Amino acid sequence: MVAGGSMSDFLFDRLYSGLNNVLDIRSQQHALSATNLANAETPGYKARFIPFEAVLEDAVMSNDSMAMNRTESAHFTGTGTVSNPQVEEIEAPPWAENGNSVFAEREMARLSSNSMLYGAVTRGLSTRLSILRYAASDGKG
Amino acid sequence: MDILDTLNIAGSGLSAQRLRLQTIASNMANARTTRTDDGTPYQRRVPVFEALTIDPFGSDVERNIAQVEVSSVEAIDDYVEVYDPAHPDANEEGFVSFPDINILEEMVDMMTTSRTYESNLKVVDLTREMAMKAIELGR
Repeated sequence: MVAGGSMSDFLFDRLYSGLNNVLDIRSQQHALSATNLANAETPGYKARFIPFEAVLEDAVMSNDSMAMNRTESAHFTGTGTVSNPQVEEIEAPPWAENGNSVFAEREMARLSSNSMLYGAVTRGLSTRLSILRYAASDGKG
Repeated sequence: MDILDTLNIAGSGLSAQRLRLQTIASNMANARTTRTDDGTPYQRRVPVFEALTIDPFGSDVERNIAQVEVSSVEAIDDYVEVYDPAHPDANEEGFVSFPDINILEEMVDMMTTSRTYESNLKVVDLTREMAMKAIELGR
């Protein structure tokens, strides 16, 4: 038993919940990419995305005791929270005649890198769970 | 927001592009049509797309997730006058009104339609792949 924590905290620790949060944000970004590609021809539509660097740091370090402290006031604070990430829009370039800022190449690249990283996180979670299973079966699992 | 929403979004993109392909086919087939049911020349059809938010009262992400909807198919009231006195639909001065349809323009539209359709199909594939990975968690 870990001091000051319940049994479930011990089994499903910060790493576990951090990975879960990342999985959540990755699937939200997936839905946004789907939205962008579905609206690739909608006049005036602006491409949307979740600014990952800001949100992910928060996602992994969401536990207070592991929160990132700013040592320099000029550093980024990050926008949005894990449970409610803020979405940013990309402005259309002046030459886009219908005011649409979806670029298929950029969106496809974002879509496949996002689903690849989603796969990486599920692999991480699976490994975490198989470690627990190994321990739970006295090292025979 | 769940995985089905994402599939619905990609599905809305697929059906919007399929409808666009239908209007293109109709425009190309009727590029020289001078008679319709009401006696006027055929009018070029253009679908109008609109982003439709799924959950306008949800979180910031949910408010930004939108399907695409064909809000209307507009008929463009433009004609090209061609001098052809022998044509049965020529007016007193010998001019015939043809629909203002540029075959090259329609061809280019057809190509972008098919690319957009493909990219939406790719979203369906990836969504299924991600769902399978989530199902296999912990196996």
